[in-house]
Amino acid sequence: MAEEEEDSVSGDEIIGYRQQPGKLPFSRPGSGGKNRFSEATDPEKIPISQGGSLEQPWGPHRHDELVSGQIIGKPTALVDSSWKVTGRAHYGDDVRLPGELIGRIVRSPHHYARVLSIDCSKALELPGVVAIATGEDAKNRFGVLPVTKDEHAMAVEKVRHAGDLVACVAAIDEATAREAERLIEVEYEILEPIHDMRKGLDDSEEPIHDRGDYHIGESNIQKRVFQEFGDIAGMSQKSIASHKKSWLFAGVNHGFTEPHAVVANWDPSGRLTLYTPQQVPHYLHRALADVLEIPMHQINVHRTFVGGGFGGKSDPFPHEMCAAILARKSGRPVRITFDREEVYWVNRGRHPSRIEMNLHADKEGRICGIETDALIDGGAFASFGHVTTYYNGVLHTAPYEIGAFHYTGARVWTNKPASGAMRGHGAVNSRCAVEVGLDDLAEELGVDPITLRLANLLPPHSATITGFRVTSIGMRDCLERVKEESGWDKKFRKLPLGKGIGIGCGFFISGSGLPIHWDPNKFPHATVHLKVDMDGGVTIHTGAADIGQGSDTVVAQSVAEVLGLPLDMIRVKSRESDTSPVDLGSYSSRVTFMNANAAISAAMKIRDELIDATVEITGAERKGLVIGDRRIFLKSDPAVGVSYLEALHKAQEDRGALVSSGAYRTPPMGRTHKGAAAGLAPAYSFSAYVAEVTVDVETGQTKVDKVWAAHDCGKALNPLAVKGQIIGSCHMGMGQVLSEEMRYGRNGNLMNPDLLDYKIPSVHEMPEVVPIIVESNDPEGPFGAKEAGEGPLLPILPAVCNAVYDAVGVRTSELPMTPEKVFKMIEKRCRNEGVSDPTELECPSLQYSELQKTLEERGEKHKSRDKERRLDEDRGDYYNGALFGLDPSTPPDEVDPRWEVRVTPDEVYLASPRLAGSAWKHTERRHMEGTK
Amino acid sequence: MLPHPDEVQWNGTVNGEEASIFIESNAILLDVLRDKIGSLGTKRGCDMGTCGCCSVLVNGEPKLSCLTLAIDTNGADITTVEGLADGHHLHPIQQTFAEFGGSQCGFCTPGFLVVISALLSNNPQPDEREIKDAIEGNLCRCTGFQQIVDSVKAASEILVSGNVVGDSTSPKSDPHPGFGGN
Repeated sequence: MAEEEEDSVSGDEIIGYRQQPGKLPFSRPGSGGKNRFSEATDPEKIPISQGGSLEQPWGPHRHDELVSGQIIGKPTALVDSSWKVTGRAHYGDDVRLPGELIGRIVRSPHHYARVLSIDCSKALELPGVVAIATGEDAKNRFGVLPVTKDEHAMAVEKVRHAGDLVACVAAIDEATAREAERLIEVEYEILEPIHDMRKGLDDSEEPIHDRGDYHIGESNIQKRVFQEFGDIAGMSQKSIASHKKSWLFAGVNHGFTEPHAVVANWDPSGRLTLYTPQQVPHYLHRALADVLEIPMHQINVHRTFVGGGFGGKSDPFPHEMCAAILARKSGRPVRITFDREEVYWVNRGRHPSRIEMNLHADKEGRICGIETDALIDGGAFASFGHVTTYYNGVLHTAPYEIGAFHYTGARVWTNKPASGAMRGHGAVNSRCAVEVGLDDLAEELGVDPITLRLANLLPPHSATITGFRVTSIGMRDCLERVKEESGWDKKFRKLPLGKGIGIGCGFFISGSGLPIHWDPNKFPHATVHLKVDMDGGVTIHTGAADIGQGSDTVVAQSVAEVLGLPLDMIRVKSRESDTSPVDLGSYSSRVTFMNANAAISAAMKIRDELIDATVEITGAERKGLVIGDRRIFLKSDPAVGVSYLEALHKAQEDRGALVSSGAYRTPPMGRTHKGAAAGLAPAYSFSAYVAEVTVDVETGQTKVDKVWAAHDCGKALNPLAVKGQIIGSCHMGMGQVLSEEMRYGRNGNLMNPDLLDYKIPSVHEMPEVVPIIVESNDPEGPFGAKEAGEGPLLPILPAVCNAVYDAVGVRTSELPMTPEKVFKMIEKRCRNEGVSDPTELECPSLQYSELQKTLEERGEKHKSRDKERRLDEDRGDYYNGALFGLDPSTPPDEVDPRWEVRVTPDEVYLASPRLAGSAWKHTERRHMEGTK
Repeated sequence: MLPHPDEVQWNGTVNGEEASIFIESNAILLDVLRDKIGSLGTKRGCDMGTCGCCSVLVNGEPKLSCLTLAIDTNGADITTVEGLADGHHLHPIQQTFAEFGGSQCGFCTPGFLVVISALLSNNPQPDEREIKDAIEGNLCRCTGFQQIVDSVKAASEILVSGNVVGDSTSPKSDPHPGFGGN
């Protein structure tokens, strides 16, 4: 039947509808949009496989046929930028409701104390005070992860860090609220605080939290991880070169410019609307329902514009609960806005950590072992810490093929503001340790560090040692590009004293494989709804939280591309939980991958209906129809076709607006050991940076001069935004490596909770960054895209550390690398070498060993291996281990008895554990003798 | 009852519009602009002069409104981000900030725009060093500044060319394309 139909419309004569007969090239009728004729379809954006001229060195992609050449791959201004540049973008504190009250929070002055009593009577007598709430008003716990709900709206029983919430007050204006704050009298019993993360591993008289049966001993250990994979016994036997370093990383804060702010309003029907700059509105939605004890459908979470997030606005926060409680009590809208200092009290920045890194290389220059021990300081609450503890280990199992992987990690509670998720979540510090270690290892082996890396990369479509399924890998291209563009070969170990160049790489998840609240095999990670009415404009409903990274834009671009429409015909409604489908939020670099995929699938349904309508109008055969610029036409004869609006109105006959829903869910992946899901992602991004620095040998001052930053984002849907993410990541990472630090004094007081003493690089410290986009065309990514928001931060830290070594021959083990620290290291080197004037120090030099050639050859061989694998549809499996002579087609632990998979330590290990590993000396209460 | 500071009259011009209001004698300009005038585009980032988000022009000079006593600006001509565009014709720097990625989350944007507009009116063709010097008091955590500097260079070109940024609300020559016509 189908064939018959095709026959009837094929042949020389085209039956049906012909616009402008005989006039070719066909000029396209517009169908809406700003201009009658929007920008012409750009053949350079259309893949060769679709008849365009876009080269596809990584092979075709399943979304190729949806490319209309409109917008994907073109630098695109953010769709909400006109709001931002006119000052009309409204952030948390800009929501002003009639009759609003101002809320303030009473915070603990003590690091750790029991709250004995709270006397609000004086405050309540103050004219203008309308409502006061304390922990008594909201006793239910919450937390971003369901497994570690350890937060309250306000202190119930104890305060756990200086700045912890005790009570809150709503008054007619800020001055009154501040005065009331002062009048609330709190009686405390001071407890012995813990500030040193190492002490958190010990048993304590009064652990900061009590996890009941799941508590680990009587300690403050919140989470511990043990992982051993591969040939653990063989790693030291085979090692001919090794690196060992104990790092101390200071905690850093997101430093977004917008302080937290929230407005709560209960409407006359009893529904709560909460206006807040949130990265994860849906998690907040759940937490509000728990804390306020009302059903979720009674709450509308309204995400305002978000003035920077970087992970720092991705927890449900106690002050959001406070605003809702005060508004409920007072019957009026309540607005709470933080001082900058309060931003540091709520924190959720990167964990201060102590990381011991051991690397081993064998005689063939293979990385035969990585041993990591990471103790991370979680501060007072769990936040995302459960995941962070895993990420510190598992996110450095790629891009290199490794012989063995040993990881012990522990996160402890201490009496500091809570650490949490921050750009590059959990991966940044340990990645820095690995990459600096590789630099050291290369030196010991007498090889070039880039050559060493190129000879040890996992191929595309492989499995890491922990069983992560890696799809596209652009790592090799990243390395080759930065090597070439930076002039590496002419500079490395050849620059004069004080000038240096260094390399660093990165690997990051593009979306987390596990949605926190539900089974990924049942519910989607992301859902997008579309509505197309008679005006032709497309309304997108998505819950993706645009935090400035441009998620609204990328979703709009995806829909515009599939439907062949200019961007101004698309409007994105992503603010309110009442109208947006559930989305997990902006974290784990998931939004482009998951939301754009969902948007494409929704747009494909509309596209199908438009094409059906075109077939009906023109009688043309369906399979030959394509969508171009606001027109649906026969690819072989563009004169046959209809305008978008004609097709749309045909499709709307008898039914009105077209609506569709699309969803994205990750494929089944990964292994089954405990913790196997942590770090699992549908795709991974890769990056390699080269940094060039100048170090003043007499003062230790380090200046980054230039950075060549190559990032494999799969496909740059919006190159403008990708470049912005790369450069912005360099800025943030440069802050961490050189100047930023949450500085705690001897008594545990935070010394610098302000933007003057917390040193974010200014425009003058910022080097020139050359962003290099590598497109590896991920098979499952939307149009091939992966992530670009977090991965680009990772390589800058080690690149700068390695460049400083190249410049002055010293390697730091503490970040930030302030001038004092660098100067002390230079001084020490002078002493050791008996040099009195630091300007007479010798630069590090490199003599190639015989291994260099072996590695170069292996790198070349792997290069063609990788190319074949990425283009070969019928490629076999590749499990980490093949480089060590094992069969690539089966998981090594199934065939090789030496290959271990272990997630709990044995007694041999426990006899002499490393620092974080000692967390395993405790027994969980439920396993203790005498208890159940 | 809290002791109340005296109320004083404050007269000034904000974005071309004259204002005559009563303010507390110790009021900060930022608070007056946001809470009394309604210039919510002027942002509060740190309240201590470290981030530059609250920058406004006082008689054409960039000032940190969070460190300025409102009473000291009595009679002044104040321009906030809302006053940069001419109706719907954006100032070139507003247009290029969007086009060149000078704005990501957008929270620091008003402060940058105000400071840069002052730079460009004094010096329509600043070199890179001059641009950096002008914005050194403004903090941006998203962009790494590079795309902001690019935006300023592009805006400078528009200014020098004498072109005016188009109005997105102006009537279209064919508002209902796709219906007949061809």
